[in-house]
Amino acid sequence: MNSFFFNPILVKEMRERFRSKKTVCILAIYLLIMGGIPIGFLLMDPMKAAALGENRNLFLLSAGIHYAMVCFVAPALTAGAISGERERQTLQILLTTQLSTRTIILSKLITSLAFSCLLLVATMPLYSIVMLYGSVSPEQMAKLILFLAINVLFLGSLGLFCSTWIKRTSVSTITSYGIAFFFVVGTGLLFFFIGESLQQAYPELFPDDGVWKLSQLQMLAGINPVFVLFGILGESIAHSDQITFSPWLFFSCFYLSLTVIFVFWSAYLLKPIRRTWWSWKKRPVRVK
Amino acid sequence: MVIETVHLSKQYGNLQALSDLNLSIDEGKVFGFIGPNGAGKSTTMLILSTLLEQTDGDAYVCGYNVRKDPVSVRQSLGYMPDFFGVYDNLTAVEYLEFYAGAFKIPAPKRRALVADLLELVNLSHKADAFVDSLSRGMQQRLGLARCLVHDPAVLILDEPASGLDPRARIELREIIKQLREMGKTILISSHILPELAELCDDIGVIEQGRLIACGSVHEVSNRDREMSIMQLRALHNQNTAALILSNHSSVSNLEEYMGGLRFYFTGSEQQKADLLQELIKAQVVVVYFGDSKANLEDVFLSITEGVGG
Repeated sequence: MNSFFFNPILVKEMRERFRSKKTVCILAIYLLIMGGIPIGFLLMDPMKAAALGENRNLFLLSAGIHYAMVCFVAPALTAGAISGERERQTLQILLTTQLSTRTIILSKLITSLAFSCLLLVATMPLYSIVMLYGSVSPEQMAKLILFLAINVLFLGSLGLFCSTWIKRTSVSTITSYGIAFFFVVGTGLLFFFIGESLQQAYPELFPDDGVWKLSQLQMLAGINPVFVLFGILGESIAHSDQITFSPWLFFSCFYLSLTVIFVFWSAYLLKPIRRTWWSWKKRPVRVK
Repeated sequence: MVIETVHLSKQYGNLQALSDLNLSIDEGKVFGFIGPNGAGKSTTMLILSTLLEQTDGDAYVCGYNVRKDPVSVRQSLGYMPDFFGVYDNLTAVEYLEFYAGAFKIPAPKRRALVADLLELVNLSHKADAFVDSLSRGMQQRLGLARCLVHDPAVLILDEPASGLDPRARIELREIIKQLREMGKTILISSHILPELAELCDDIGVIEQGRLIACGSVHEVSNRDREMSIMQLRALHNQNTAALILSNHSSVSNLEEYMGGLRFYFTGSEQQKADLLQELIKAQVVVVYFGDSKANLEDVFLSITEGVGG
């Protein structure tokens, strides 16, 4: 395990990333946006700033912006990890070394996550302003941080998967944004559309809005980050109050499982010679 | 055999990139792979480097099957593709240390190893320079050093001199000669054919995925027709020599070449000796009479004539 965390790709990626001026710029812009919008909000609306300890709006706004930034940054950081190696013609050489494809994928993911986590941690002091205005429990803060961390992990692995699957970084980035959009917005829309359709088609089967208590629909809501985020923030979005289980736990298990699948699938796709169990043929073995 | 392919074939959809390739390269030999673009050279090299799976047949590097034991094959060879990039924001030392780490060379040994490699490729003075700031020739030499970090027995170099200026080509060629002296088995492809003639013990001519000639440069050039490409240089009476050669029945394609004459000769060694005597008798002051050193392009053209249909 110790050797994994000192593997050459981690060292190289860290050197490359943190020597680049781009990294400093990203961090600066991120902090500017994350700090600028809430501060601007307070300046524009001094009445809310005056209500110390009673105003939740700033917390909701900060959490919303934070989540939007994570959705924007996390896939972008990993969507070029493998396709970038391919584009600058270093991937073939890397694949002829003794590093396994799993090590390469995990190292790429960890270095991207390290930077995403740096962005996340760097913005945490901004929440001290939020805390000033109150109405936020430490438990909510902890849940929010964990929620963001799981999103970073999932979106990072999604970007990495797209980067391995698709040759061009530009296409891989667009695809990972598209898939992320499906999970963030699409699952929510599906929840509403399917629920409403069922309700209208079979009103006798689902009296008193009973359709929203269907376990399949509730699971669909449970994988929608917006529903879960609202739950963590203590707000309710249409029909989200009818969920009978803890969406936060279901959400975490679901996206952590998807992350593991994406990582292993990427490692498989990266192998120059891929094997499927049915492709093995009996061949004469040469004696060395 | 250090490199061996047995009925190796590769098909991309309907395109047969490689067809029934049988190749054997002995330890310590430098084998030149000649062929036009798309002939199958890079495909063969990719299969040997475990980066591409063959459709049929087998390939072995140092006795290891490339399909069944890729990890051992990778440990036994250093592969340099025709085009390769470098990482930004890494110095030459860090670049080589990264690959040394990737081949699991213990960290305490890396510094000394990297210093030796940089010295071998004449880049010690650029040790702390960023890799992306190096010239193409320097990057190519660094790439060669990168191939050597794990001290492989086999080097597979896919057109290492492409895109280099003449000086960089000469520097690279000298390093490859050094590697040959170190006992490395080298499989090299190039479009600059005269360079291969000087470097290689054996050559293989590949066209449309088929190996159409294989052997030493001399053997291949004299193949079938006992034809060789010869050069003559004379201090005086070169015009007389040209006249004699143009009237000689065994001589064809006579042309002026680098201050002398170059021609195709079809005949035995005895007939060559007779021709030389005839020239000397005619008062031609011969200073060079022998096989053309830079004739691989002609050999290639002669062998592949008509193969493409």
